[in-house]
Amino acid sequence: MTPGRRSVASAFLVVALALGAFAGITHGFAAVTSDGVRRADIARAPRVLPDLRLIDADGRSLSLSDYGNLPAAVTFVSLVYVRCQSVCQTSAAGQSWLQAETQARGLASSVRLLTLSFDPANDTPQVLAEHARRLGADTDQWRFATVRYASDLPSLLKLFDVVVLPDGLGGYSHNAALFLVGEDGRLRRAYDVDRPDLALADYLRTAQGRPG
Amino acid sequence: MNHAPAFIRIYGPGFALAGLAMARPWLELTMARHMGLELPGLFVLGWIAARCDGDRLTQALASWNANGLPGLLFATCVAGFWMVPAALDSAVLHNGMAMGKVVSLVAAGLLAGASWSAAAPALLAFFVLNWFWMTLGAGLLYVETPQQLCSVYLPDQQVHAGQAMMLWATVGLGVWLAHVAQSCGDPPEPSS
Repeated sequence: MTPGRRSVASAFLVVALALGAFAGITHGFAAVTSDGVRRADIARAPRVLPDLRLIDADGRSLSLSDYGNLPAAVTFVSLVYVRCQSVCQTSAAGQSWLQAETQARGLASSVRLLTLSFDPANDTPQVLAEHARRLGADTDQWRFATVRYASDLPSLLKLFDVVVLPDGLGGYSHNAALFLVGEDGRLRRAYDVDRPDLALADYLRTAQGRPG
Repeated sequence: MNHAPAFIRIYGPGFALAGLAMARPWLELTMARHMGLELPGLFVLGWIAARCDGDRLTQALASWNANGLPGLLFATCVAGFWMVPAALDSAVLHNGMAMGKVVSLVAAGLLAGASWSAAAPALLAFFVLNWFWMTLGAGLLYVETPQQLCSVYLPDQQVHAGQAMMLWATVGLGVWLAHVAQSCGDPPEPSS
């Protein structure tokens, strides 16, 4: 090979490597942020809910996979910790709004809400119950829970692709989203935490297509 | 760089890289330090290492790097890649990606440094100006965007990271302009 051809070959190699690297990190040019990549991933390949043991605000035991067996209902899920002063309040406001909107439309039995805490050390059932009361949650529709065993926390965060880092001030910095568990019991969608309206519109649009 | 003592030319870049490695926890604590100090630091180290060796690396690569084009292309692609927020996240969360970041940025600096003197002024202008607009534009996006870009950094750090990128874009453009001004002062090369 002449130097000219070798250089053309190495330039092509660089282009191929670069395209591969960009496609890899953006999961096929789907998004440039981790949240965007997660949203695309979940929509493309809905995730099965594993049998993670949870404990709710009433101290009752349940499994995350129970949400895979709800008859004809979807569940909007958010992950929070109760002491959070920032993005979790947006999550809570979004779920409150969803509660009000779905009840006003008579959909309380087909749209469920679930708030999961990733801070089981602080968010005991009593703390969660107090939090639910403050938010005016209708506990028939909206449930609050955390992992029963702290050792299950990594699996929970991995399932939802939530990154939680101690912020050095006793709290956490973390990313958030509003997740949709479909009627088939799989994690189907992730929405921006401040756009519950889009999440509800998306649900109503797909629900209208069904008979009954 | 060729006038520096041999000791510094041989060991300097290695020691500086070790220093960066030790400072990693501090550097990666905030988005601005990660994007504004660590990433450019790795690139500049590679660049200096290439220049420490005189023209030897340029000559060794010459037959695969005509006009410095593949080398400059590689450096631009690597610089662009680490401006993707998802890439920055993965470099903090996964050790393999963290290692890939160090290797790719040092290699980008090495290749850019080795290609700089091989490239024709017009080719250099193409790459430098493209890199300048890319970095300035990405910096502006980081400053302006209301969404959280990285999972591992809070949104309020994005402003500083974006400003650091815009600063580097300006500094890079300035260095290149100084280089152009200097070569304009040189006697013109004989034309055919």
